[in-house]
Amino acid sequence: MMKKLARVLSPLLIACLVLGSLPVAAAPASPTEGGLVSTQDALSADQVQADRERIDDVLSRQDVQDQLLAQGVDPADVRDRVDALSDQEVHDMADRLDDMPAGASVVGALFAVFVILLVTDILGLTDVFPFTR
Amino acid sequence: MRIMQRVQRFSVNARPAGVLLLVVTLLFLSGCAGSPTLKSPDRLGIPEKVTLDDVPFHGQRDYQCGPASLAMVLNASGIDADVDTLIPQVFLPEREGSVQPEMLATLRRYERVPFVIDSNFEALLREIANDHPVIVMQNLSLPAWPVWHYAVAIGYDMDARELILHSGMEAKTRTSFGTFDNTWARSERWAVVALPPGELPDSISRHRAMSAIADFERVNDPQTALPSWRALTERWPSMAMGWFALGNAEYAAGDPEAAANAFREATEQDASLAVAWLNLGLTLEDMGDNDAAREALNQSATLPSEWQAQAQRALEGLPSE
Repeated sequence: MMKKLARVLSPLLIACLVLGSLPVAAAPASPTEGGLVSTQDALSADQVQADRERIDDVLSRQDVQDQLLAQGVDPADVRDRVDALSDQEVHDMADRLDDMPAGASVVGALFAVFVILLVTDILGLTDVFPFTR
Repeated sequence: MRIMQRVQRFSVNARPAGVLLLVVTLLFLSGCAGSPTLKSPDRLGIPEKVTLDDVPFHGQRDYQCGPASLAMVLNASGIDADVDTLIPQVFLPEREGSVQPEMLATLRRYERVPFVIDSNFEALLREIANDHPVIVMQNLSLPAWPVWHYAVAIGYDMDARELILHSGMEAKTRTSFGTFDNTWARSERWAVVALPPGELPDSISRHRAMSAIADFERVNDPQTALPSWRALTERWPSMAMGWFALGNAEYAAGDPEAAANAFREATEQDASLAVAWLNLGLTLEDMGDNDAAREALNQSATLPSEWQAQAQRALEGLPSE
């Protein structure tokens, strides 16, 4: 349901952002008001791509925000957490948060493979059980 | 009868063969477990033995090795952050863990620049020797049943070939180089140092360093990042983009003269960097030096780049001679 809604809303949002940015793009950038080219802009390869990425970033940040909420993050914290991510990190998280390793050290579920891990621990291949040291 | 005897003799021989097979298999397995080959400490230029005693230990609660590791490096860096405050900033309740990008993001929020250092053992030892505790990510188990874990490397002992870590519930636990490297390799040897603005790690490429600072600057502000840009240009004076970034930070900090100098240095290192000519021109115009501004903007407007049109417009906006 949410997916379907997002599929309808995303193109609309893109259209709004593009239309919204048109007056800015059309107006001649006045050097005194427009200011310098930022380091972050200069680092992204070309301008057309940078504009497209900016729209993409807005969508990705929204997407990551939703994903974090779904992962049980407090709504009061979610905005600040997404804001602290770099553009590249936002893209990575939007694409593959579910596949990302999450450092947690949960041993509980592993007793099924206890013996194998015990052997690999003794061999120094793994470090699951502290008593093998 | 004779056949039976032969079978019996064969089965007697099968046992040693089986044992041999097991031993060979184990040898093969432990072959992967060989400890990393390292240069001698002399050649690495680091001491034989280091322990960073001033890194406080926070034991992890439940699955919260991420927030605990962050608290340890932040405290060691002089920032008062406790695990309870960090948990809602980095922990994912449903995943019962923390992901790498958010680990970096959280360090940025505390005004520390997170640098992901080169992925090798020598880089790790060198950072520890430089008094930098290192957050490492390990998979303590096998890839099929991963146990992802963050720990803080705080020392090593080249003689014993052991790494010293604040890990999980244990402070200053020792792990052999070999075992540690096996578990660390599974995270592609992910290692992070969190440094105050103005400091750089030893083992990092200039481009990785540059984007780490740019990401830090985006979350904080140019003034806060200024010392880092200075350090970057000091370390790699031939890097034009470093000078360009320094110029922007100087400008934002309210020093157009220093900014103009940095932009000029950028154009000296790389005369084809149109965006540096453009910002140099805009800064000079801001300072009221229209002639010099025209010269710089002219350079930018003639160089084929995505900034050409903007330079052209700025040039037209200048009061005529």
